[in-house]
Amino acid sequence: MSKFLLFLGCTIPTKQYAYEVSVRNVLPRLGIELVDFPEAGCCGFPLKGISKKGWVYMSARILSLAAKRGLPVLALCNGCDTSLRKVKDILKHDEVLRDEVAELLGREGVKLNFNVDVYHTIEVLHDFVGVEKIKSLVVRPLKGIKIASYPGCHMLRPTDIPRPEPSGEPKKFDMVLSALGAEVGYYPDKGGCCGATMLPYSPKHAFRLTASKIRNMKDFGFQATTTSCPYCMEMLDSKQEAIRTEVGDDTLSIPVFYITQLVGLAIGLKPRELGLNLNLSPVEEVLEKLGVSLYE
Amino acid sequence: MSLDVRLIDKKVLKDVIELVKPHTPQYCYQCAKCTSACSTSKVLPDYKPHLIVALTRLGLVKELLNSGIIWACSECWKCAEYCPQDVAPVEVVIALKNLAIAMGYKPPEDLKVMTKNVIELGYISPPIEVLSKEFEVYSRSVLGLPQLIKPYINVETANNLRRFFGGVYE
Repeated sequence: MSKFLLFLGCTIPTKQYAYEVSVRNVLPRLGIELVDFPEAGCCGFPLKGISKKGWVYMSARILSLAAKRGLPVLALCNGCDTSLRKVKDILKHDEVLRDEVAELLGREGVKLNFNVDVYHTIEVLHDFVGVEKIKSLVVRPLKGIKIASYPGCHMLRPTDIPRPEPSGEPKKFDMVLSALGAEVGYYPDKGGCCGATMLPYSPKHAFRLTASKIRNMKDFGFQATTTSCPYCMEMLDSKQEAIRTEVGDDTLSIPVFYITQLVGLAIGLKPRELGLNLNLSPVEEVLEKLGVSLYE
Repeated sequence: MSLDVRLIDKKVLKDVIELVKPHTPQYCYQCAKCTSACSTSKVLPDYKPHLIVALTRLGLVKELLNSGIIWACSECWKCAEYCPQDVAPVEVVIALKNLAIAMGYKPPEDLKVMTKNVIELGYISPPIEVLSKEFEVYSRSVLGLPQLIKPYINVETANNLRRFFGGVYE
């Protein structure tokens, strides 16, 4: 059994609850042991524009706290995953900054240690659990449903540090979906950006970026999409109706799931055990095909 | 158009190079591949990473910072992947944001709120109540999720965070 520190970040424990609910219910059924990590807090990634050094300090603190626990980190959020890996790389190469951060952490009684393994949800599903095991647990195959994997930027880039999807494409993602019985395939700009980071500057422009992604998925015949990033979910699912209104296109409607929600559905969990009642996109369209009611 | 040499700030490029190392903005030859790849540029054509790099190299960043357009970067990192010269325009933009803050420019309002929340709560937002499609109210406790504790209990952690981020909202 593999054991991980469950690093929730910011967005998941404060509003994207469906991800946390589904992870907590699904991963242990796949043989993954999760250990809570409440002393972690924000990784600092959203604040690097204010102070890059401040961001490095924040992620270094989390890495050090994880090292103290002696367990690998499971980062659910694309941003957190990138942040921790990038900061590991920065600390490895920048001696001056490393000493400065060590000094700051020392003042609060934390010993700088970034010798920690960081994994993302998709790696835990694909590399640790494995597609064969997932396949063996499927009792409700997602047969005949064409699902667009949407990795989100930071699962693929920047490539100067190790990525959860090292090929530059969501291959592991599609293999997990295939193991669940779903149909997968290509659509343009699959590795494109949801626009979430643009939100504070201009929601209008951010929405147009998300709209273009949904349009590509619809044009290529996908009936649903799935991500493992809470920011992508926020844009694709939570703000889908606002996006339709912004671009004036009612056809931009697609069910959006966290990958852990789809795994949970396929292995027979109830929609409420997966937080599916919190998804605001038309997930019922997919549930109907599977003969499942959202309220059972 | 004439160039007002009084606006040239030679220190900017030096500061940016220091902040983005090991990337090399000084090697940009304006091929504009970054702008072709840019996600923000697709919806906001005025946003052109290669021009931002050019203005930075020339030390002409005053208007750039005044316009606030650097905050439009979606941080998708595509520019850095497409760049043949390891300029990493996204990292240049992050460096410019840092310099802007140090010079007293304010970030977008939402980012200020997020910063304040991180310092005071440890998260970019307090845990909120969310509505389902049927307008039922859900909180962490209703969903049976463990209560969220404040991750920073040490006063030195708060001091460190204030040192880096406090300036944008205090």
